[in-house]
Amino acid sequence: MSASPGKAVRYAYLVACVAGVLFFVMSVGLLGVWPKQVIDAQTAAMSPAHPLGLSASALRGRAIYGREGCGYCHTQQIRYLHTDMSRFGAPTLAWETRFDYPHQWGTRRIGPDLSRVAGTRSADLHFAHLFAPRSVVAHSVMPAYRGLFDGAADRPRQGARDLLAYLETLGRAREIAGPEGEAHARAGCNCPDDEMLQMAFEGAVNAHSARTRREGDVPALPPSTDLERGRRLFGDHCVTCHGETGEGDGPGAAALRPKPGTLVEHAYTDARLAEVLWHGVAGTAMPAWRDHPPADLAAIAVAVKALRADRPEPALPAELQELGARVYAANCVQCHGEQGDGRGTAAAQLTMAPSSFRDQRPSLDHALRVLRNGVDGTPMAPWTGRLGAPEIMAVAHHVRSFYEGGTR
Amino acid sequence: MPRVETTLVHAHGIAALVTLLLSISFGIIAAFQLLYPDLGAGVSWLSWGRVRYSHTQGIMLGWLGNAFLAFLYHAVPILSGRPVTSVALGRWLFALWNFAVMLPGWVLVLSGVSQPLEWAEFPLVVDGFVVIALVMAAVQFLPPFFTRGLEYLYVSSWYIIGALVFTLLSYPMGNIAPEFVAGAAGAAFSGLWIHDAVGLFVTPLALAILYYVIPAVTRRPIYSHFLSMLGFWLLFFLYPLNGTHHYVFSVIPMSAQLTAITASALLGVTVVIVVANLVLSMRGAGFLPRDPGLRFVAASTWFYLIVSIQGSMQAQMAVNQTVHFTDWVVGHSHLAMLGFASFAAAGGLVHAWQRIPWARYNARAIDVGYWLVVAGLVLMVVDLTAAGLMQGRLWASGAPWSESVQASRPYWIVRAHGAALLLGAGFISFFVGLTTGARGGGLAAIEHGAGVEAAGHVASRLAPVLERVS
Ligand code: HEC
Ligand code: HEC
Ligand code: HEC
Repeated sequence: MSASPGKAVRYAYLVACVAGVLFFVMSVGLLGVWPKQVIDAQTAAMSPAHPLGLSASALRGRAIYGREGCGYCHTQQIRYLHTDMSRFGAPTLAWETRFDYPHQWGTRRIGPDLSRVAGTRSADLHFAHLFAPRSVVAHSVMPAYRGLFDGAADRPRQGARDLLAYLETLGRAREIAGPEGEAHARAGCNCPDDEMLQMAFEGAVNAHSARTRREGDVPALPPSTDLERGRRLFGDHCVTCHGETGEGDGPGAAALRPKPGTLVEHAYTDARLAEVLWHGVAGTAMPAWRDHPPADLAAIAVAVKALRADRPEPALPAELQELGARVYAANCVQCHGEQGDGRGTAAAQLTMAPSSFRDQRPSLDHALRVLRNGVDGTPMAPWTGRLGAPEIMAVAHHVRSFYEGGTR
Repeated sequence: MPRVETTLVHAHGIAALVTLLLSISFGIIAAFQLLYPDLGAGVSWLSWGRVRYSHTQGIMLGWLGNAFLAFLYHAVPILSGRPVTSVALGRWLFALWNFAVMLPGWVLVLSGVSQPLEWAEFPLVVDGFVVIALVMAAVQFLPPFFTRGLEYLYVSSWYIIGALVFTLLSYPMGNIAPEFVAGAAGAAFSGLWIHDAVGLFVTPLALAILYYVIPAVTRRPIYSHFLSMLGFWLLFFLYPLNGTHHYVFSVIPMSAQLTAITASALLGVTVVIVVANLVLSMRGAGFLPRDPGLRFVAASTWFYLIVSIQGSMQAQMAVNQTVHFTDWVVGHSHLAMLGFASFAAAGGLVHAWQRIPWARYNARAIDVGYWLVVAGLVLMVVDLTAAGLMQGRLWASGAPWSESVQASRPYWIVRAHGAALLLGAGFISFFVGLTTGARGGGLAAIEHGAGVEAAGHVASRLAPVLERVS
């Protein structure tokens, strides 16, 4: 060696070069190529035959999602952990990501995971939120994407519509694959002993707590008198849409169809409030609040009831009583139901459930307004063309008579 | 006597400082946007995501990239005893790196042309230029190590060679593969790159600086050449195997995850060996060396130890489960890229700068900058680590998401109003330190203490401290 130290040094450095290449190849093989093969095999075995692809619009939306860095605040990867699963739903399977060029897994959650966000909120809410997040979620830190709109949340440009189309694909392929899809995946996985992968088939595919439901059990809320806490929570979560006083005129309200309920104008039964808070109002922007502890929901319910303006309402003149029942039976039962419970024969086909007058009583003014103007964004049409003033007055009184909840 | 191309050292140094200030401005804007989310709303190029992309790409490629190049121009001729391949090539490399990579990269990202891949946000066109530039860097700096008559084998050279070779391979893999490999499999490649960017580009060059500056300043050989080699080979073997730890509990095969987790644990042990060697090499210089370059390097060494132990800990499932996705990780990456890498880069830059006879040098400003940045970094890391623990706990408790957002606010206030502003002021001061003051002030400051000549005239200044092979 001493004869030619230079040579030895050069060899040593050359070894570093060669080893660099070898170590790199080894790492890519072990942690890139081999996992890819496993993942490809899993995808082939577990994917539905015709998984939902992305439309041209959704692809454009994905590009917007990418360029705005949505994925640096939102992950698209539900981990095989119960804490993730109970919040977002079934952990991400390989085949669900098969069209993601590039993947959008993300490594930071400032906002929640979005892998199952499809179908969790209405389009108007998405738009209001993207245009001005704080107009609907008071404490949100999400950026406002005004450039995607033509000056207002209800005037989305192509970009906003594309982004929405993309968001509506997230988690959708697995949901529409349905129970058959789950069974197929489970069979294809053929991994009864793989504890981790088995978790993919536990529990609900979509566990999003804000997702609205039309049916389903509602836990009874514990009795609460905590008006103080209720008001605070109402301030944190509800005023953006329903307004300080419950008039339905919060900053987020303008862009929503239908508009947020006018809570001041209604009497609600406890069961109705529990249902609305637990399920949200499907077909509208009203989210569900299942992630809040029942005691908090009960306190919120107390605060909602306290909003109602308690004013004396005129009694139904005797001569209109029978007219009201007749008009109702002729025009309203197919939706609102004979018993006023919202379970008319046509109800199931509607985009949103018709009001059940048994657990929710509008003020006379409100009922009249609804009958004259309809409710924009819902199947409830105006009746002025079909019913005369006395009939409208009579039926407005009539619907108020179903209420079962007492005065408060 | 090989020439050190001081003009190129200086040019890359200035580019490093300018991109540093731009990059941290992006970081500061992003930090404030989390407190005032409507800041810049309606101005599409100020949208949080784009600013966030610009911040990290700027730090990695603009600041660290240029600072490393500046250091290479200073150190490679001294380590190899040969000049770099070509000055003309150097001019092209400088132009390409700053005007075909950084400038268009930022402009494109801010105007919405980018790819949503971590540490790879510049779009594919720009990646093409990065790869060309990396090839040029290899041509520029590798041949000197392979010419006849080398007498010294030194660990910094190995790290430099390793970094150039690895980055040339891993950069295209991380930036291009996920565009063509879908979903989970693409994520496996991304995970590799996220770690390779730090472990195979930034870390080896930072370690090359630490191993270089310490003996150059103390004028004593490092504590153990054997340990330095052992550390090098272990790190080289282990770093590439870490990537999958970014996706623990994902659908990527568990055995890949476990490999990465194991490699992460072993990496922690290796770093203890490396740092022990570095710290022992600095013995006598004190905890706060008087030489400014060495002072940055000393801090970098300690941050390297902390961040590596933290890293191998947070790769473990029990910890990862809670802290993954939280601000803890943001704190960790600042400890790595700022604490370890940027302090090393700053140390290397100051060291090289002092040895350019005509470069301006303002010792006071560098001093003030050092302290402000140390304060800002420590505040930021402590703050974000606490925030991460809080967020992880709230998420696990099943509390509504909004609670974690609201509870983060105080921590984000500390980060933005405290840490980010301290860091901003510190780096401005550092910038002032290298752009004002007397020309040749740096050299005068050394001559005052030891007796070291300007880099331009010195070849084997390190000779007495390097390992002689024969
Ligand atoms: C700075 C971080 C940040 C960025 C960037 C960001 N978001 Fe958000 N996002 C949040 C936060 C925080 C929430 C939770 C509060 C809220 O609902 O506004 C959220 C909530 C959401 C929700 C509701 C999720 C749910 O489960 O209820 C959707 C949908 C959403 N964001 C979409 C996007 C899209 C699309 C982009 C990119 C165009 C984006 N976000 C960018 C922080 C961010
Ligand atoms: C994003 C806006 C939004 C937020 C936030 C919101 N709501 Fe609503 N809410 C609505 C909309 C829209 C409706 C549907 C109105 C309808 O059925 O026409 C609604 C309906 C309701 C109803 C039933 C009203 C009715 O007359 O049918 C109640 C009760 C209610 N919300 C209470 C709340 C409470 C309590 C909160 C806070 C925890 C809340 N809402 C938060 C938008 C919102
Ligand atoms: C096509 C189905 C349909 C028919 C027919 C229909 N409604 Fe409705 N109605 C609805 C739906 C759906 C809503 C819920 C709108 C909402 O929640 O915003 C509603 C809401 C109402 C409300 C408001 C309730 C509240 O608490 O705010 C009143 C009052 C009402 N309907 C009265 C009537 C009357 C009286 C008739 C017959 C003249 C009638 N509706 C016919 C579907 C129908």
